[in-house]
Amino acid sequence: MKRSKERKSKAKEMFPLSIADLKKQLSDAMHDNPDFQLQEFQVGASKILVFYITVMINKNQLNSSILSPLLSKKNDWTLAEIRNKLPLGNAALQTDLKAIMDDLISGAVGIYVENEEGLLTYLIPQQEHRKVQKSDKESTVLGPQDAFTESLDTNLNQVRWRLNSNDLVSEKIIVGERVKTEIRLMYLKSLANETDVQTMRQRLQNLVMDEIEDATPLTYFIEDSSMSIFPQFYQTELPSRFTYSITKGKVGVLVDKSPTGIIAPTTLFSFFESTEDVFMRWNVGSFIRILRFVALIISALLTPAYVAAVTFHYEIIPTPLLTSLGSSRAAVPFPPVIEAMFLELLIELLREAGARLPTKVGQTIGIVGGIVIGQAAVAAGLTSNILIIVVAISALASFTAPSYLIGSTIRVIRFPMILLSGFLGLIGVMAGICFLVIHLLKVTSLGRPYLLPAYPFNYKDFDNTFYRLPNFISNLRSVSFRPKDMIRYKQKRTKKMKDIDE
Amino acid sequence: MNRGISVNPNVVVKPNLRIKAFYLFFIITSLQTGSGIMGVPRYIFMEAKQDAWISVLIAGGLIHLVVAVMLVILNKYENADILGIQMDIFGKWIGKLLGTGYIIYFFFVLVSVLVDYIQVIQIFVFPRVSPWLLSLMLILLIIYAVSGGLRVAVGVTFLFFFFSLWLLIFLYKPISLMDFEHFQPVLQASPAELLRGARKTVYSYIGLEILFFIYPFIDNKRKAKQSAHLGVLLTTFLILLVTVICIGYFSGRELVEQIWPVLVLFKIVEYAIIGRFDVLVVTEWMMVILPNIIFLTWMITYSMKRLYKVPQRKALYAVGATAFVGAGLVKNEVVILNYIDRVATAGFWIAFVYPMLLFPIVLIKRRKYTKQKDGKD
Repeated sequence: MKRSKERKSKAKEMFPLSIADLKKQLSDAMHDNPDFQLQEFQVGASKILVFYITVMINKNQLNSSILSPLLSKKNDWTLAEIRNKLPLGNAALQTDLKAIMDDLISGAVGIYVENEEGLLTYLIPQQEHRKVQKSDKESTVLGPQDAFTESLDTNLNQVRWRLNSNDLVSEKIIVGERVKTEIRLMYLKSLANETDVQTMRQRLQNLVMDEIEDATPLTYFIEDSSMSIFPQFYQTELPSRFTYSITKGKVGVLVDKSPTGIIAPTTLFSFFESTEDVFMRWNVGSFIRILRFVALIISALLTPAYVAAVTFHYEIIPTPLLTSLGSSRAAVPFPPVIEAMFLELLIELLREAGARLPTKVGQTIGIVGGIVIGQAAVAAGLTSNILIIVVAISALASFTAPSYLIGSTIRVIRFPMILLSGFLGLIGVMAGICFLVIHLLKVTSLGRPYLLPAYPFNYKDFDNTFYRLPNFISNLRSVSFRPKDMIRYKQKRTKKMKDIDE
Repeated sequence: MNRGISVNPNVVVKPNLRIKAFYLFFIITSLQTGSGIMGVPRYIFMEAKQDAWISVLIAGGLIHLVVAVMLVILNKYENADILGIQMDIFGKWIGKLLGTGYIIYFFFVLVSVLVDYIQVIQIFVFPRVSPWLLSLMLILLIIYAVSGGLRVAVGVTFLFFFFSLWLLIFLYKPISLMDFEHFQPVLQASPAELLRGARKTVYSYIGLEILFFIYPFIDNKRKAKQSAHLGVLLTTFLILLVTVICIGYFSGRELVEQIWPVLVLFKIVEYAIIGRFDVLVVTEWMMVILPNIIFLTWMITYSMKRLYKVPQRKALYAVGATAFVGAGLVKNEVVILNYIDRVATAGFWIAFVYPMLLFPIVLIKRRKYTKQKDGKD
């Protein structure tokens, strides 16, 4: 109470004031910014000051909706009149210098009529951003192709358009002490688990930091365990994936200036799930999803297993295979670990170089790396043919994951695994696997276990996690995440089978 | 009631730390089929010859009885574990002493499992690897898992149960090569021999004690009974299976010579991409023994906390370091077998006879107690 009184008295100290005083105060607050425009007009007997940051506003709108109606009138203006007459809906009466500044930097035009009790701001921002484009980080064959852009408005538009229901809640949270960034927490009111929403809201609100670079760094501040190598929130640039998850009762977060949407809670298995599986027929979709899990195992374990077998356990390789392996390895002077590390490193270098170089050069690198270096390495006796195949398969397999984040995680995991296998053979690999499983059991996402539905075990969720069932069976949402409403649709088809020729 | 004397035996468990009775099945089975099952057919066979399978059945029946007795004892209290029950019955000091006995016993079992597995690795995979290295590796895994608490321990048990279950499929090969004449003549062993055989099965059944410790953590206790019995039933089935296969597959003289006949069974499995299957089995066996040693360590550290208020994390590091030294020191094959034999004997008395002795005492002492919450949960 006292405070508001204080503020009022302070505001009274500021307004009303002469245009010259206001000009001085504003310019001081803007640190004499050359982009800051102050225009004084005399309409009738009233002096009007219009001010804005030129690079932040839409000039067409300024001219057509503000300046021309303002200047076309012959008699005096009052603030109330401006509010009534200007063809813009979002006028805000400001009396506090700080609030005025906040509005200005987010693209507002301020209008002050001399000796009035306050001033009006109109938000007409203009943000330059790229158009909605096809996603190239998470490309899909079937289904929608559009991707998020850097503009929060566009992203919100895409999400709202897909989920045109008033059930969709979008909460605005501002994060950042020095540079403020708008964050939107989105979920379906009638579906999302209250605890999840509350946890996410709490984490975002409690976040105190100077600035947020992007959505991805933001997740590193709000995720459950920073020490883990596994991503705990799903990040996507596909609006279709974002809305798909929200309709399953999850919580989504959009960050201004970032083309990435965050989805939580998530599990390890959801990183191998693509919206494309839903567009496929259930049996084909199941096959592809299981294929991805096989790819996960291959990419993490194939090279280590090879190294272990060739270094320590010749006996587990059958004799016919052993002879061809032996002849291929005969010219190689290094132990298998070094050989494998060398090749894996080569593949990683190629990947990194391909990602950094311009597209046209990138293709050349692919050819150079794949054919020339591979062939030359074998010819020079640096590696064996078979290892090249092994490493190539595991590299390919690691790229099948629909999420780029989990793919890189697996590729990183492979290196300690190879070292372990070179050190302790299969026993070392097994110890590595056990360590990973124990680790995954410890990880949580938004407080929910990372290995759902495998542990805590929930048989009903195996459908849509490890495989997909036909639609007349699969009519429930995920039990593990406890959405408010379990049933997606009522089962209609009768289970009774018709007899032949009836 | 005579609650007024000293300690409240009950344990208060936070809701988020509770586990479902469903997992008890996996916990009991996994803990029982640890390292013992690798060698148990030989021991039973040495006592009961071709009737060893009857010994297994007898042992299984007795274990069910023990489980029933344990559950009756536990149900005489609201939410107590054995540590609390002992203190309630025998007073604070004797109770603590008996609890310490449990801790020491578990520690010796822990070391025996470690030593046993390290020896198997040395014999089947790496003849010259240092036991210190293997022991360090296993201890680090234990410390990492136990520091995650009961939830992780249960998760490891549950997942590794399925990860190692597939090994059973490959028993089809020795099964197809079984000679049923090895079982004849039936019922040659005297009842005394059969019972001695049943007693030899005990090392495989060790692990049942977990019920006394984990019971307060179980959420829906009504289903615990079913879960526990089914778990024991599966263990009995597994031991019976390997015993029958071993007797059918090996001739009597061969079986006596094999220290780990079950691992040898896998030796003949061969495919176009895998030559020696037993190496894989020994590797995979880590997933069978890890739940064991993780739970043993959890029980040791948890008991230390309950009895002496030692912070569990500190206890964990201390136990890890001691077990590391212990497992590294016991090396000689004869010493190991002798040591495991002693642990098995101790296990017989502590895990199976002791509950039977405790049973009448608890019944008398708590005769007035009826569970109030019955019918509620």
